[in-house]
Amino acid sequence: MLEIKNLSFRYSGGAPLVLRDVSFTLKDGEIGILLAKNGEGKSTLFQTILGLRKPLGGQILFDGQDLLKMNRRERARYVGYVPQEIRFGALSVFDTVLMGRISYFHLRAGREDEEAVRKILSGMEMEEFADRNVLELSGGERQKVAVARALAQEPKLLVFDEPTANLDIANEQLILQEAKKLSRERHISVLTSLHDLNQALTLGDRFFFLRDGVIQVSGGREVFTEKEIKRTFDADVRIMEIEGKKVVIGG
Amino acid sequence: MTNERKIQKKKTHTVIISLAAAVIVLAVFCVFIGSSHMSIADGFQALLKKSTPANNRIIWNIRIPRVLAAVIAGAGLSVSGLIMQTNLNNPMASPATLGVSNAAVFGANLSIIAFAGGFLSTGNNLASYTVGANPYATSLMAFLFSVLSVLLILGLCRLKAFQPGVVVLAGLAIGSVWTAGTTILQFYATDVGLSAAVIWTFGDLGRATYRTDWIMAAVVGVGIGFFSLVSWHLNVLLSGDASAKSMGVSVNALRFACLLLASLITAVCVSFMGIIGFVGIICPHVIKRLLGQDHREVIPASALAGSLLLLLADTFSRSMGNGSALPVGAITSLLGAPFFLAIIFGKEEGR
Repeated sequence: MLEIKNLSFRYSGGAPLVLRDVSFTLKDGEIGILLAKNGEGKSTLFQTILGLRKPLGGQILFDGQDLLKMNRRERARYVGYVPQEIRFGALSVFDTVLMGRISYFHLRAGREDEEAVRKILSGMEMEEFADRNVLELSGGERQKVAVARALAQEPKLLVFDEPTANLDIANEQLILQEAKKLSRERHISVLTSLHDLNQALTLGDRFFFLRDGVIQVSGGREVFTEKEIKRTFDADVRIMEIEGKKVVIGG
Repeated sequence: MTNERKIQKKKTHTVIISLAAAVIVLAVFCVFIGSSHMSIADGFQALLKKSTPANNRIIWNIRIPRVLAAVIAGAGLSVSGLIMQTNLNNPMASPATLGVSNAAVFGANLSIIAFAGGFLSTGNNLASYTVGANPYATSLMAFLFSVLSVLLILGLCRLKAFQPGVVVLAGLAIGSVWTAGTTILQFYATDVGLSAAVIWTFGDLGRATYRTDWIMAAVVGVGIGFFSLVSWHLNVLLSGDASAKSMGVSVNALRFACLLLASLITAVCVSFMGIIGFVGIICPHVIKRLLGQDHREVIPASALAGSLLLLLADTFSRSMGNGSALPVGAITSLLGAPFFLAIIFGKEEGR
């Protein structure tokens, strides 16, 4: 279980706090969705969890272990990252996924690392891609490679920054299904942000509404209300129930 | 292993083996040709130290150190360029991006103009053979200033966590300070001092001795050894800093070590041989076009390609200069640039 306790962050000494006493929990295999306007600290929170930024105070606990007290290599075995802008070098898919093992193998990949990669690729039905150059792949395929690489870290949490931002609708669905599969079949917690509120409703188990550096509300689908969206995004939407499912209708 | 992988592996092996073979053949060939018009048979005799003393000296004291210098400096400059490009995430990055060459030129100018060092005023002119005129003084001064420049830039960039953009700009700024210093020195120089200083900057492998070769070999060897050791980390770095860090790579420490070692390689090559441009840009790019970006393969292949280009350029320059070789630095660009353009503008290759 991921427990974030009283996490605070600011960019420099006198600057205002970007995150203020942020606390929430995410159980193993749950998908948590962070909902906030751009510039409200979404990326900062992700970066702090990933160890890219040092918080002012607080704890990021995984089964009682504090991520903030670990070195980079140890942390890489807890948290995997799929960035919004994915960059790759001209290497094969196999070698690219193998990179995710670097926190285990240090200098040279061993047989067990290659075996782990083979398992992940077959689990994601990507074996036939294995020897292709990643730069030749489509946007959706590249994102799958990035997910596979993060999985090679054997993480307990996957941070997925705007996974659908650069994808067309078919690839969007592909990657959301992939995220769902990870959480349900591998029991990996997923923390993500999505612009599309309907996608968020379909995918998420828990929702965290972030505004002014504070988590205003968190919880299951019941907290996903018109009022909350108005407060977080300054946007007027209507939420209707169609066949028992909540649907967000804009403007 | 699938077919595709086998083909790729085979291609990589073919490229590396052909490069190695070409380097060996050309290196041997270069020992037997030169402006003294020694016959091949005499060359063999001299190689066994059984020819005339003059021939023995030409082979053992002039040609072999020179060929070794081409192989070592070529490999060093090429790999240095590759490492700069990877670490600064910039295809334009070169061995001299941290202002190493400018600093080396300033150091050499200072030694030649202000302290009457340098080869023109030493070997050729015994009258000015003073304390400051040790033949190694100029190289030493050039090396000291380039190391100083590198440390200054890396020290500055530490404040900004070695962000690639900052490093490139800092290199540019500090490099231009050295160049300004050089201009001022040259303004006050005598005609002889000025020409000696300018000629020093022309890359010339003829300055090589066994001692310079061993020093270069040690630095280049340590550098390439280290880069090969961390080739997986360099591969991960291609994914960007945030991803690399999230995978557990200590990006700042890696970048610091790589920039320092790559710059030291350049510093030692430039200090002994003068400026040999473009090797560090052409060779890594050609190799990346051919093989992709896996550093396990690209590092050895770039090293060999650098050796080959410098050997070729030196052979060419020795055969053009009518007895005294043309500056090899000019030839590398002259030979390399059109080839480079052909590759850039040529058909896009898949991997």
